[in-house]
Amino acid sequence: MKLMIVDDSNIIRTRIARLAAHPLLPEISIVGMAKNGVEAIDVAQRCQPEVVTMDLTMPQMDGIACVEKLQAIDPEMRIIVVSALSDKATAIAALKKGAHGFLHKPFSDEQLVAALQELVK
Amino acid sequence: MSDLNENQLKIFIDAVLHYFGQMSTHKAEIKTSYLANKTPPCADYTGLITVSGRYRGCIYLTAPRLMLRQLLIEMREPDTTEENLLDAVGEIANTISGNARRHFGEALEISVPVAFKGVAEQLRAAVRARPFVIVVGWCGYEAAVVVDIEADAK
Repeated sequence: MKLMIVDDSNIIRTRIARLAAHPLLPEISIVGMAKNGVEAIDVAQRCQPEVVTMDLTMPQMDGIACVEKLQAIDPEMRIIVVSALSDKATAIAALKKGAHGFLHKPFSDEQLVAALQELVK
Repeated sequence: MSDLNENQLKIFIDAVLHYFGQMSTHKAEIKTSYLANKTPPCADYTGLITVSGRYRGCIYLTAPRLMLRQLLIEMREPDTTEENLLDAVGEIANTISGNARRHFGEALEISVPVAFKGVAEQLRAAVRARPFVIVVGWCGYEAAVVVDIEADAK
């Protein structure tokens, strides 16, 4: 499945990319990365990802607005939010806009791999 | 002046300890926490979060270069260039602030992190008198999380 990684932190993007290459996730191939919501829309239109990891606090366009726009582009796209925002209202808002899951930062390697496994099921 | 109570301060302490616990095999410890009565600490790199919504103020993490470099290595990130050190300090500040919303809720609106090296004018402008300072020890290094938030009276 084609994965797009969206996060304004280069460290987080490369960490997720490294973990997405885990042997437990053979079906995942990374097709693009973006550091804000605006870039993510552009990458999504060009690369047509099937699964997405989405940060929330980003410049230009935040993650919740981006989830909504990505769902409008492709309602089949499966999106997991990966964010430090730990309040329940934010998680509910993301799920209402079309996200399929929520993983809190800071996450362990095992937590991310498990979340991606769930996402590609 | 920050008007955090003891329980609220503990939210930030827990967030800091949780961060290092998740990112590293080495535990962090809180060396001390205090109400600053003079210029708050500023190490090599600082990640600053501005708070708005029903609260106002800022939260920042300031850490020495070698500590951030060590943390990146622990995270198996081979790139320890200046760009990634700035990225790391901003991401840690963002994570600690975001985690605090578990207690404060969405009313604690947080900005994207601004990261800089050395003492920046932005920091002097952002921090008011007497913020809370949490000194964190990890792998022989010390960083500080500075919390200066109060409920907006408006």
